[in-house]
Amino acid sequence: MAFQFGLHSVRHKLLAGVLLTSLAALLVTGIAMLIYDMRGYYATQVDDLTTQAEIIGRASAVGLQFDDRKFATDNLSLLKVRPNLEGAAIYNAKGGLFASYVREGVQREDLPALPGTDGVRVKGETLELYRRVVENGEILGTVYLRAHYEFYERLWSYLVIVLGVSALALAVSLLLSSWLQASVTRPILDVTGVARRVVDNRDFTLRAKKTTQDEIGYLVDAFNDMLAEIGRQTQALETSNQALERQIAERSEAQRALSDSERRNRTLVDAMTSLVWTANDKRAFTAAQPAWAAYTGQSEEDYRGTGWRRMFHADDREAIENQWIQAITTGSPIESEARLWHGPSSSYRVVSLRAAPVLDEGNRVREWIGTITDIDDRKRAEAEIRRLNADLEERVRRRTTELEATNKELESFSYSISHDLRAPLRAIDGYSRMVEEDYGDRFDEEGKRLLTIVREEAVKMGHLIDDLLAFSKLSRITIDKTASIDMTALAKAVAQELLRDQNPERGRLDVWPLPPAKGDAALFRQVWVNLLGNALKYSSSRPHAEILVTGEVSNGEAVYRVQDNGVGFDMKYAGKLFGVFQRLHKAEEFEGTGVGLAIVHRVVTRHGGSVRADGRPGEGATFYFTLPVKTSDD
Amino acid sequence: MIDYDQVEILLVEDNPRDAEMTMRALRKINFLNKVHWVKDGEEALNYLLRTGEYADRTASKAPKLVLLDIKMPKVDGIEVLRRVKAEYDMKGIPIVVMTSSNEERDVVESYLLGVNSYIVKPVDFASFVEKVAKIGLYWILTNRAPQGTGDGRA
Repeated sequence: MAFQFGLHSVRHKLLAGVLLTSLAALLVTGIAMLIYDMRGYYATQVDDLTTQAEIIGRASAVGLQFDDRKFATDNLSLLKVRPNLEGAAIYNAKGGLFASYVREGVQREDLPALPGTDGVRVKGETLELYRRVVENGEILGTVYLRAHYEFYERLWSYLVIVLGVSALALAVSLLLSSWLQASVTRPILDVTGVARRVVDNRDFTLRAKKTTQDEIGYLVDAFNDMLAEIGRQTQALETSNQALERQIAERSEAQRALSDSERRNRTLVDAMTSLVWTANDKRAFTAAQPAWAAYTGQSEEDYRGTGWRRMFHADDREAIENQWIQAITTGSPIESEARLWHGPSSSYRVVSLRAAPVLDEGNRVREWIGTITDIDDRKRAEAEIRRLNADLEERVRRRTTELEATNKELESFSYSISHDLRAPLRAIDGYSRMVEEDYGDRFDEEGKRLLTIVREEAVKMGHLIDDLLAFSKLSRITIDKTASIDMTALAKAVAQELLRDQNPERGRLDVWPLPPAKGDAALFRQVWVNLLGNALKYSSSRPHAEILVTGEVSNGEAVYRVQDNGVGFDMKYAGKLFGVFQRLHKAEEFEGTGVGLAIVHRVVTRHGGSVRADGRPGEGATFYFTLPVKTSDD
Repeated sequence: MIDYDQVEILLVEDNPRDAEMTMRALRKINFLNKVHWVKDGEEALNYLLRTGEYADRTASKAPKLVLLDIKMPKVDGIEVLRRVKAEYDMKGIPIVVMTSSNEERDVVESYLLGVNSYIVKPVDFASFVEKVAKIGLYWILTNRAPQGTGDGRA
């Protein structure tokens, strides 16, 4: 606003200057003319009066000489033609009033009674003149003229004219100067407007329009240049400001991160079970180490400097020292285990000592910061675990050796059985036969019967040996568990084989669809032979045997079921069913060696499955076996 | 004195009962005079190599069949088999293992050593007699063995 006002003020000042200058010139001129005119008027009046007085004097000289008043008064009355003359008088030499004249409206008494001295004098609005009438050197009298002196009227009208002219002149000059000023101030106002918009909008791309090539034109140029410069400066300033703001933001971010990290570290240190210590570049404890003191029980004056080293086991100090020397040369952290005196328990405990150098700008070690963690319990536990592991390994190894030895023994045992047990049996059978052949005619029927029993028992024992060998072989052979077995087909084939010699009237054996299995088909064939054979055997006493083979997959395993309506068994003895040589029935009732179900059990177990049986005396039995179902195709 | 020239079957058997039953079976087909029984592997090798007690054996003929038991004291049947089949002069002699062992490893090992046949002795005497008779008839009468071999000193 001040800017705007100032410019108006300049405009007014310019205007006022022009007007005042004009006025002054007019006034000076007017006054000069006035003075000149007034002086001219006065002189003319005086001249006129003087001439008049001279004429009247001369014309009246005769009258005076002859004291002819009438003549003189007539002369004076001629003055009527001169309206500006208010009065006239002629005095005689003695100074008495000789003749007088007054214009209409003028009091005769106003004329002076006595003549004054020669000369002109201004008296109010009248001009008075006294003139001696001299004739031949003789003073005859004095003429007095009084004229209306129009000085003020004249002065007034003059002034009015001067003022009128002045006013006119001023009006003209005002118009002229206004027009002139417009051409000067418009560019300036233009610049002002631009400046204001620049200030208001902070738009430094605005430019004032240059309309003239004069000083104002230069001013506009200078202003525009200045704007451009300011624009550049502002731009630079803003850029720099932004950069600065960014830096400030970054710094405060960094500061926040730093304080966060510090808080975290403090919390960490507080929460750590390890004790934290700091040492200077000479590895001396300089600050108070409360954690150290609490652990070792060392007082501050003891651990000050390098006193802390005494708390490590004498045998470990050198190792720590060496590690530290190495750490200083490589600038890497230290990690070491050592025995440290534990004050509260008065014993050395294994600790993990870690130390990292804090470097200064020149990569020199400024100080050390580190932790000491009590790992004594852990070390003990580890040692215990190692000992136990070693122990376990040793036991496993020993056990394996034992097992291998046992296996070998078993092998040679079964080898012996197969070879050595059979020989006497063969001899018993053979020699019985020889007796029969060579001395049969001397035996009576009873003798022959007894001999036959000897031979039968020998053969039975041969079967027992064969079964036992087959069974023991099962635990020694390796089983291929990947081959697929069509259990339905296998069970059906076995059933057909077993029923070949059976009277169809005696009963029926149905095999429903069974889940497939994976494993050794020959072994499972034996399983089916034993299970179905058993079912047939123990149903043989029934008028009509009903045997049903079913199976399904449930809970991730395949279940196979052989159900019969045979003699069944007492669940009390179910635990004995699958044992070797275990029989629940007397040999007179059902023949068998008691190995069949043991073989079933072993085959199924070796394939990862399980067996069980349900039954009741006289109400049949159900034998189950399960096998794991392999979801993947391994 | 034994006429070794008559011997066509060498029975190597440590068990006298088995030996007797074997010879009884062979007698049934009238081969008894062709059998010579030795009681262990060492004696068998001595016989074949004409060493030890058989050093003065003058026979020029090798047996047409060796019936060899496996489980024997001192030198067992497998060792005999190994030695016989490793000797160029003897490896042509047909050897039939007759044993109580039904062990697969014995069967395999015997065959790897070049056995000519492997028989498991049945416990049942009737079967035993039948088998021995069949073997004897086959190897002595049906089979054609190389002539003149078997004399380790030939």
